[in-house]
Amino acid sequence: MNLPRSSSLLLSLTTAVALGLGGCATTSPEVSSGPVKYGDAKAVETVTNEFGSTDLQTIAESMARSMLQSRPVTQSRERPLVTIAEVKNKTSEYIDTRAITDSIRAQLLKSGAVRFAVDINAMQNQTDELIRQNQTGMYKKSKSKKIGQMEGADFRVEGNISSIVKRTSDIKDVYYKFSLMLVNVESGVIEWADEKEIRKTSTR
Amino acid sequence: MKSIRATSKLAAAMLVALLAGGCAGTMRDYDSELKQTVGMASSGNIDQALQELEKNNSDANKDLLYYMEKGELLRLKNQLPESRDAWLLADEKVKIWEEEAKTTPEKLIGNIGSVLINDKTRRYDGQDYEKVMLSTRLALDHLALWNWDAARTEIKKTHEREAIIAELRAKEVANVEEDAKQRKVKTEVKDLKGYPVETLDDPEVIALKNGYQSAFSHYLAGFVYETLNEPSLAAPGYRKAIELRPDVKWLEEGLKGLETRARKLKPNESDVLFVVEVGSAPARSSVSIPIPVPYKSTWGAVPISFPVIKSDKSVFLPTQLNVGGKNAIPVHPVTNIDAMARRALKDDMPGIVLRGTIRAITKTVAQKQAADRDGLLGILVTIAAVVTESADERVWRTLPSHILVGRATLPWGNHTIGISGPFGTKNITAEVAGRHTLVALRLMGSSLYAATPQYPPQLLAAAEAVDAESAVAVTANEAPKAQVKKKAFKPKIKPEPTKGVPQ
Repeated sequence: MNLPRSSSLLLSLTTAVALGLGGCATTSPEVSSGPVKYGDAKAVETVTNEFGSTDLQTIAESMARSMLQSRPVTQSRERPLVTIAEVKNKTSEYIDTRAITDSIRAQLLKSGAVRFAVDINAMQNQTDELIRQNQTGMYKKSKSKKIGQMEGADFRVEGNISSIVKRTSDIKDVYYKFSLMLVNVESGVIEWADEKEIRKTSTR
Repeated sequence: MKSIRATSKLAAAMLVALLAGGCAGTMRDYDSELKQTVGMASSGNIDQALQELEKNNSDANKDLLYYMEKGELLRLKNQLPESRDAWLLADEKVKIWEEEAKTTPEKLIGNIGSVLINDKTRRYDGQDYEKVMLSTRLALDHLALWNWDAARTEIKKTHEREAIIAELRAKEVANVEEDAKQRKVKTEVKDLKGYPVETLDDPEVIALKNGYQSAFSHYLAGFVYETLNEPSLAAPGYRKAIELRPDVKWLEEGLKGLETRARKLKPNESDVLFVVEVGSAPARSSVSIPIPVPYKSTWGAVPISFPVIKSDKSVFLPTQLNVGGKNAIPVHPVTNIDAMARRALKDDMPGIVLRGTIRAITKTVAQKQAADRDGLLGILVTIAAVVTESADERVWRTLPSHILVGRATLPWGNHTIGISGPFGTKNITAEVAGRHTLVALRLMGSSLYAATPQYPPQLLAAAEAVDAESAVAVTANEAPKAQVKKKAFKPKIKPEPTKGVPQ
């Protein structure tokens, strides 16, 4: 059987795609018993007007972008070493501000422009590990990491989130303001600060 | 033709309900069942109370209330893992409700069964405050079992549950309003002649923001998040508690001390949250109110049952705990479940009145049409209508009626904690260990129960090495003395001694 060249190519492509798809189907079978589906984690979420995933992502992206353009980051000879202090939640809503600062830190680290020292919350794990390596007698002295070699941060990041909530019988309006600043640890000078505002209104 | 079919359906349903008798939920007298159980628990007979509960729930398919009551009785018995497991089974049932509330709310808002027979035919999903309290109480069990992460999960579930309830109730209110408008039915309680409106219009009830959010649940959230070093989540917990009970000024201390409390603790000291629960949640009973119903050209009155909650104002609320016979720790009433139950009923009443009125109309039509067709059938339907008419009395009765909270810094080790009242003085011994801990007491009648924290062995060993009674003085977490001193600047007001604050 002689097929034209284009038909032959098409057949090969179709076979390859079919094999590819077949392969996918074999390795990742779908198990489903109900109306559960995966969604886009970055999709805009407006289920309620409480603080949600879109707000977290918007704040983290906006703050990380702004900080990466700041003078202490762009004009530093060495990559600055930063630590994250607490972002205070001044709202009456259970907002996990650590999830916001974790996202900001991940984006800053991915840029490669800054380095991060362990923050106060991770300090216990850090000291536990050093003690384990140096004081339990279980590690080779030459291979254990020395106590007293930790680096102090050049800057610390701190901030707060506040909100104003107003409602009538039909409308609920929520205004969030997220403020972040970068403080020079040695001099105490605030080197950079920015704010992100979000307004969400819902009607019944 | 359609109305005759509906009438036959109703007549059949009522007769079946009547013949089914006491075995069905339609005829269950929950108030009498639990009166016995609560009475036994109040007089210290927990084993008997548990037996009574089992006797009244012999059916293989246990309902939500069974697990709620069982969890509470087992907690009183200090069988904390068993109590937690019973409540986790109750929680599974609440999760089914939550799923329905999120996906098919219309199923929960409308329920024809209650229109035909009575509200007891509705599956018991728990009052809103009970669903919230269930996760709060699960958190208390987890804390006593020293599982702070599981307690955190329950606390988080509490917030999510409150959001689901708020959403569903908003829809329900709109639905009832619309339905009542279309049917031209008045749903205000004041229109029910003879209903004790004052039980719902009590200032304690009106002052509540809603019937399901409690200052205690949110204060506890603040305490758990603070312990887990999550101040950004602890702050809204304390803040919400203040918003829910602005009259309890002591709650402000939780927020004020958030940043400094842990730093002030000495190595062998613990930040102790005292939770004192008192009494039992109020019962719902039935009151029969005649509802005027038009039929053809005449008017008749059909007695319909409505639930009533009578508050027990005589419950004793302690003002302080005594630690080691010398230090007083003030306790503050932050949650009034008695008032929350009445608020929940107040908010539910438009729906109950609407369903009751529709039931009155349907029953009248059924009776008249049955009588028109056959005199004997008419009599039977009338008897069935009267016998099956009863308000829904199901509520979680072993819940406390009031929750009081106090906070103090205590040295590690064993402490004798006493409560004095009309019953004399009752003491329990509480082991204090760890940087933060919770001492939970329950006063029922003249019986004092305690949920003993089950510390990990290393914490317990460290605590036992400290001779608590002779160690550092107990410090109550109260308003700083400076605030009291301010009063001295007002010449005409004599400065009050700081009640209960150890000197």
